[in-house]
Amino acid sequence: MDLSTKSQGDALVEEAPAAIGMPVALPRRSRTAFLRSIFSEERFFLILSVFIGVFSGLSVVCFRFAIDWCRIYLLGSGYTLSTSRLLLAPTLAGLVIAVLVIHVFPLARGSGVNQTKAALFIYNGYIPLRTAVGKFITAALAIGSGHSLGPEDPSLQIGASLASAIGRQLHLSRDRMRLIAPVGAAAGLAAAFNAPISAVLFVIEEVIGRWTAGILGSVVLSAVSSVVVMRWFLGSESLFRIPPVELKQPSELIAYAVLGVVGGLASVVFSSGIATLRPRFKALPNWTQYFQPALAGLLIGLIAVLGAPQVMGAGYEYIDEAMHGQFTWQFLAILAGLKIVATLLSFVSGTPGGMFAPTLFIGAMLGAAVGGAEHVLLPHLTGSPGTYALVGMGVLFAGFLRVPMTSVFMVLEVSGNYSIIVPVIVANTFAYVISRKLQPTAIFDILTRQDGLDLPSMEEQREEGILRVEDAMRPVTDPVLKAEETLEQAWQRANANAPEVPKVLLVQLSPTGWSSVTLEELKTMIKEGKNTLTLASVLAGRQVPFLHPDHSLDTALRYVDRWPLVPVVSRADFRQLEGVITQQDVLKRYRDFGEG
Amino acid sequence: MANGSMRLDLRNSLRQEPVILTLLTILAVLFFLAVSGLSHIYHTQQQSLGNRWFDRGVTDLNAQRFERAVSDFRTALLYSRDDYSYEFNLAEALIGLKRTDEAYAYLINLWDEEPENGLVNLELARIAAHKHETDKALRYYHNAIYATWSDSDEELERRTTRLELIDYLLGIGARTQAESELIALAANLGDDAAQQLRVADLFARIKDYEHALAEYRLVLASDRNNPAALAGLGMSAFQLSRYDVARRYLEAAAAANPNDSQSAELLKTTELVLRLDPYQRQLSVAERNRIVIEGFAAAGERVKACSPAGGVPEQMPNSSAPNNLAAKRAKWEQMKNQVTEQGLRRNPDLVDAAMDLVFDIERQSNATCGPASGADLALLLIARLHEGN
Repeated sequence: MDLSTKSQGDALVEEAPAAIGMPVALPRRSRTAFLRSIFSEERFFLILSVFIGVFSGLSVVCFRFAIDWCRIYLLGSGYTLSTSRLLLAPTLAGLVIAVLVIHVFPLARGSGVNQTKAALFIYNGYIPLRTAVGKFITAALAIGSGHSLGPEDPSLQIGASLASAIGRQLHLSRDRMRLIAPVGAAAGLAAAFNAPISAVLFVIEEVIGRWTAGILGSVVLSAVSSVVVMRWFLGSESLFRIPPVELKQPSELIAYAVLGVVGGLASVVFSSGIATLRPRFKALPNWTQYFQPALAGLLIGLIAVLGAPQVMGAGYEYIDEAMHGQFTWQFLAILAGLKIVATLLSFVSGTPGGMFAPTLFIGAMLGAAVGGAEHVLLPHLTGSPGTYALVGMGVLFAGFLRVPMTSVFMVLEVSGNYSIIVPVIVANTFAYVISRKLQPTAIFDILTRQDGLDLPSMEEQREEGILRVEDAMRPVTDPVLKAEETLEQAWQRANANAPEVPKVLLVQLSPTGWSSVTLEELKTMIKEGKNTLTLASVLAGRQVPFLHPDHSLDTALRYVDRWPLVPVVSRADFRQLEGVITQQDVLKRYRDFGEG
Repeated sequence: MANGSMRLDLRNSLRQEPVILTLLTILAVLFFLAVSGLSHIYHTQQQSLGNRWFDRGVTDLNAQRFERAVSDFRTALLYSRDDYSYEFNLAEALIGLKRTDEAYAYLINLWDEEPENGLVNLELARIAAHKHETDKALRYYHNAIYATWSDSDEELERRTTRLELIDYLLGIGARTQAESELIALAANLGDDAAQQLRVADLFARIKDYEHALAEYRLVLASDRNNPAALAGLGMSAFQLSRYDVARRYLEAAAAANPNDSQSAELLKTTELVLRLDPYQRQLSVAERNRIVIEGFAAAGERVKACSPAGGVPEQMPNSSAPNNLAAKRAKWEQMKNQVTEQGLRRNPDLVDAAMDLVFDIERQSNATCGPASGADLALLLIARLHEGN
């Protein structure tokens, strides 16, 4: 069965036996038709999304086990780790990872978000299953041994890769194949984050870039089913224990705005560091690729030995501690800085692993540090370190990953507290604006361009100006004819302003509706002796579609090709003419826009 | 040819949606079972590691090695993040390290989870009390009193908590609140002699001697030779001016504990009061007159020492009439020759006049020249005893 050929399924329903409920033995063709009526491609894809969610959820659970086992056996089971393990584990793991990435799993390098995007826009949804296996092994080894990376982006790629493999086995159509990778990505991310809404939003905001009901249904189903599976095995607790958070005084929003500014600047430092160092590391001789992850691991181990073991791994337990006020603000600020350094080292060395967890870590530390410092300066502030840490996480998400919607919903979903929404929006807006101003290209776009790909930038798409009908339409200067006018009257009115005689005239039909008639047609019909006939009688069945001023110019393009003059009417009153538009007007506007 | 057709049929059948969904379901179930197996191994290991580190933590906590205990409990929490006892013990260890803010953060989480937990409320109350957050401290103490106390004698824990609250209230000078808590506590007190004694002491501390007396009596009912209760009862009776009772129990207290100097001192004063009080019943006239003469002489010594002839006595702060004492002394000098055995026998009304002067002198001297002692203190107490008569 090739699902791509099944679009006629609904038409075949008619061949089913009419006597519904009767025990009729279906003929073979009818049985197929009946099944197809149940399993239309749309519905089948939705059911498939649930399976993708289940498989992704199970894979992510295994991935979490693998990371924990790596950590226990490589770094030890204690909270305080021995110096030798701190130095050796990430270094040796780095060597193994380098060999695996260079010789066995070359596509496992990096975070996984861009690879999924590339699958969607370049490879028709194709991600080799080998990538999932490679990502699973190398990322578990890296994170478990203490490299400063997180499990979310790899989970996203594992989910996408699994979904792609299932889609290939089922010979899905090209369109469905393109969609299946993001569906798996959302499932993987949702399971890793234990936050289905954020995962759905992230995939739509950063990977797919558009909202349609079809995509949304599949993505939501897969995300929810993967989260259900994950919670079945790992419990429903969120990643952090959230302390009570509230905003008591609106004046405190200024404090959160300050956090937004600091977070925006930190995001720029972080993304600039990656943008600058990554190509330089890649440009080093090939043999150095074997040692880059090991060297990064050694340096991270050194940071840990020197007093900041918190920078190792994903660091969720330390985010939790920061939220509960267990570090001084000075130490929190140092941790934020060191985590940026450690993550830069891990990421630019090509070690597989995600950026989400480090981003959350840096944000939480920075948030709690800024909150703590503000408390020292202004003791009357009531926000707890936990509140600032939570807002800080959203700030870095908005500033560094540049996903403003996800950043807000992530904080809400993780905290389960809607009273924090205003500080989050204020701080995120500042961070986003500052980050965009100082680093115009988003980090994911920088990475794809460095890899020689030209994937559509979701941020640029969001920001792109849309040309609308109102930008191209022109005012009505020619006479508008009434349906009840005779052809004779119409001819006279058309020629009233001679010598500027219009070639096409609009006709207002009653009670609503529009039509048009060319001067040439009028002339011909009068010659044929129809001059006493009304326009309504001769133009019956020749309605012209109308547009509204806010319609996109792309929409207008579909009509102006077929009708020489299209009326633009008010949405409040379809009889009120706002202007007219022709193909020439549209093309001229596009030309002007391109030149501008 | 037929084989090829069969293969094609099989392939087509396998591509039917119900078949695909059945296969996917079977795969999902198999995958699920495999992950369940892994999950069992994972969780068993996590639990075992958590317990191991928790046991180490408890050992370190009991040995007051708080720093190590914190590290142990934190490790245990890595393996079971929301384990209540791990978190609670971590908070205890943090309190041991005086890192109360961190401990508070953990405790408040536990409180969110189980607001009715007595131990958590008690620790939160202690932290709030330490931070001088009175409202919070009182709220958590009351929560703890009415909370559930698992694995222990609930009533005992509640009483102990209330006692701690009373101590705290007395510490911050909230005497009225402390008294009402004490009354509530006394009403629910069981047969625990130690707690009864503690409550009696607290009543004495807030000068509620009637309740103190009753509580001391309860202690003595179960332990008749309890030296602390004997001393406390004697002291309470003394404060209530029940000197007969006081003497009886103070004597017993001194006998039970010869090192109890406070009771011995009180006993001396009590005996002096009983010996120098001329208004006791069943005294003969001669005896009464002898006591009046002794008291008058003692007052004379006191006023001379306090107000030397012709001199102005050294003024105590807040003394409103410093020169009154000179007038008293003059009056005493004037009456000195009349207050004799003969003079009192001849004029019985002189007894009251002489004792009034004695009481006035003692009161005035006490206010002007500092606290009295010995016979002077006894006379002062007798004056208070008969005030208004």
